[in-house]
Amino acid sequence: MTAENGALAAPGSGVIHDIGYRHYTGPRLGRAGIVRALVWHSLRSSVGIGRGAKAKIIPVIAFVVMCLPAVANAVSVAQGGHRLVPYDTYLFQLRVLVMIIFVAAQAPELVSRDLRSHVLPLYFSRPLTRLDYPVAKLIAFVLACLALIEIPLLLLYLGTIAQLHGPGAIWDQTRALIPGLLIGLLWAVLLAAIGLALASLSGRRAYATGSIAIYFFLTWILAGLLDSISGGRAHGPLAGAAGPATAGARLSGLVSPFTTLDGVRRWLGGTSRGPIPPPGGYGPLYGVMFLLLLAAALGLLAARYRKAAIS
Amino acid sequence: MTAQLPLRAGPPGGPGLAAGAGQAVIETASLGKRYPGEVTALDGLTVRVGPGITGLVGANGAGKSTLIKILLGLLPASSGRAAVLGLDCARQGQQVRALTGYMPEHDCLPPDVAATEFVTHLGRMSGLPATAAKERAAESLRHVGLYEERYRQIGTYSTGMKQRVKLAQALVGDPRLMLLDEPTNGLDPAGRAAMLDLIARIGSEFGISILVSSHLLGEIEQICDHLVVIDGGRLLRADSMTSFTEVSHLLLVEVDEGLAELAAELAARGLPPRREDRGVLVQIVSDTTYDQVRDTVADLGLPLHRLEQRRRRVEELFRDSEDGQPGEGAA
Repeated sequence: MTAENGALAAPGSGVIHDIGYRHYTGPRLGRAGIVRALVWHSLRSSVGIGRGAKAKIIPVIAFVVMCLPAVANAVSVAQGGHRLVPYDTYLFQLRVLVMIIFVAAQAPELVSRDLRSHVLPLYFSRPLTRLDYPVAKLIAFVLACLALIEIPLLLLYLGTIAQLHGPGAIWDQTRALIPGLLIGLLWAVLLAAIGLALASLSGRRAYATGSIAIYFFLTWILAGLLDSISGGRAHGPLAGAAGPATAGARLSGLVSPFTTLDGVRRWLGGTSRGPIPPPGGYGPLYGVMFLLLLAAALGLLAARYRKAAIS
Repeated sequence: MTAQLPLRAGPPGGPGLAAGAGQAVIETASLGKRYPGEVTALDGLTVRVGPGITGLVGANGAGKSTLIKILLGLLPASSGRAAVLGLDCARQGQQVRALTGYMPEHDCLPPDVAATEFVTHLGRMSGLPATAAKERAAESLRHVGLYEERYRQIGTYSTGMKQRVKLAQALVGDPRLMLLDEPTNGLDPAGRAAMLDLIARIGSEFGISILVSSHLLGEIEQICDHLVVIDGGRLLRADSMTSFTEVSHLLLVEVDEGLAELAAELAARGLPPRREDRGVLVQIVSDTTYDQVRDTVADLGLPLHRLEQRRRRVEELFRDSEDGQPGEGAA
C-alpha cells in the first residue's frame, strides 16, 4: 500500500502524497436497507458479538443454562424414558429467571449506550425516520429473545424425536411443539418491548438494568404473593384434590408479565401446569392485559424517541 | 423557489464564483421557528446559500443550531419554507439527509468503540453497502488525519481527534453538503487552525459544499467564500466574503495630542470616527476620504503621527451592525 502510493508520487519528491478524494459512485441502500443493517448490527451487539469478551458472558451463560433441560431430556429419552419437559411452559421458573437476567443485562446494551454517548443525533441526521431507530432495535431484541427461548425448545424436540419411531409418534411431538413455539414468540415480543422501553428511560446502564430487573422481579414475586393470599395454593401439588381456585387467585397473575403470559397460554388452551392457577373464565382478561402491557411498552418507546429526535 | 433575495441582488462574489451561483444549495424564505413558551429562535429568515464554503455566524442563541435542524428536516418550521439542494426540508427530509453530512456541536461519540468501527457503522446508516462502508470509513479517517490511530478506542482520543472523528462520520457517506455546527468548539488554537484547514480542503478540493457555523467570526472568515450573519433569529447580512471586506476598509489616524478634538471635528465633517487605543478609525468611502482627513488634521493644527489603511475584520462589521440596529440584539 505504502509502496504503491510512493510510486504514484512525483518522481524524486520522496514524499508519499495523498491520493486525493474520491466520490462514491456505487449503489446506495434505501431506508429499508438501512433499517436492516441497523437490525443486524443491534442483533450482533445484543448477544455480545463485536463487543469484546466481557460482553459475551451473560448471553452465553443464559443460553447454556436455558439449554440444560433440553440436554437432560435428550439423555433421559435416550435411556428409554419419556419426555421430561413440556413444550408450552418449558421449565417455567428457569425460563423466568434466565429471561430476567438476559433482558436486564442486554436491553441497555442496545439503547442505553447510544443515549449515554449522545449518538442519536448522528442516526437522526441520516436517511431514517424517527421511528426507524426504535423499530430496528425492537426487531433485533425480539429476535435475540426468540433465539434464547426457541432454540432450547427445538433442542428439546430434536432430542425427543431422535428416539422415536414411526411418523405418528413424531407428528404427535410436532403438534405439541408448535403451540410452544407460538407461546415463545409472545414471550419474546412482550419481554423485549418492556425491556427496551424501560432501558430507554436511562442512559446510565446500571439504572437501566436495575429498573428492568426490579420491575420483573417485584411483579413476579407480587403475583405469587397475591396468589397465596387469595388461597391459590390450592392448585399446588395437590391441586386436583383441593378443588377449584378462588377468583382472587385466578386474577393474581395479571400483575406480572410472566404470569400474564402464562394466563394467555392457559386461555389459548395450554394444558401443562403453570405457576398460577388457570384463569378459567378470566382468560380473556389475560389476553387484554397482554395487549395493554405491549401497547404501553411500545407507546413508551415511541414517545421516548419522538422526544429524542428533536432535542 | 420564490425566495426574495434583497441582500444578494447583485452577482455574488467574483466572476469565478458567480458561475456556480445559479443553483442554490440552501434556500430559506421567511423561515420562522417558535418554541413553546414564546421563545423565538428564527424570525422571518430569508437567505440563499450557493456552492462553496459558507460561514453561518451569530452569537450563541442566535438560531444557528435551530436553522441546521430545520434544514435537516428534524424540526418543523413554524412558518416559511426551507430547501436544501432543491429539496423541501419539511416534506423531503429523508432525501435531504441522504445528501447531507451533519457534524453536531456536542459530544456524540461512544468511548468504547474503535473509530474505524464507529465510522463504518455510520457509513452503513448513510446507506452504504457493507464493503463500501468499510472502505469509505478508512478513507474518511485518512482524510481527517486519523489513519494510524483508527483502530484505537475513541475514548482514548484527544478532543481534537474526537472532533476529527465527528467530521469523518459526516464525510463517510460522500455527501453533497456538509452542515458543521461549531466544529472548532473546545479546541486549542493549533487544533482550531488544523480543523479549519481540513474544512477548507473539503470545501475546495473535495467539491463538497459546506455550511459551517461559528460564534467566532475572526476564525471562520479565513476559510469562507460566503458569510451569513444572523442574530436573534434574523438575517443581519448575507454576502460573499469579498464584498464583506470590500466595504470595510478603514483608515487609522493617530495624533500625538488632541484626539478628542480631532474626533469631534471628523464627526462634524461627516466622517464618524471610532476610538481605538491611541487613534481613531474612519471608514474609507472614497479616495477623497484621505484628503478630508488630511485637511481636518491640518486645520486643527494637530501633530499627525500615523495614517494607516486597514482591512476591517468581519468581527467589527458585526459589532457595527449590532450597534446600528439595537432592535436586532434584543431577542
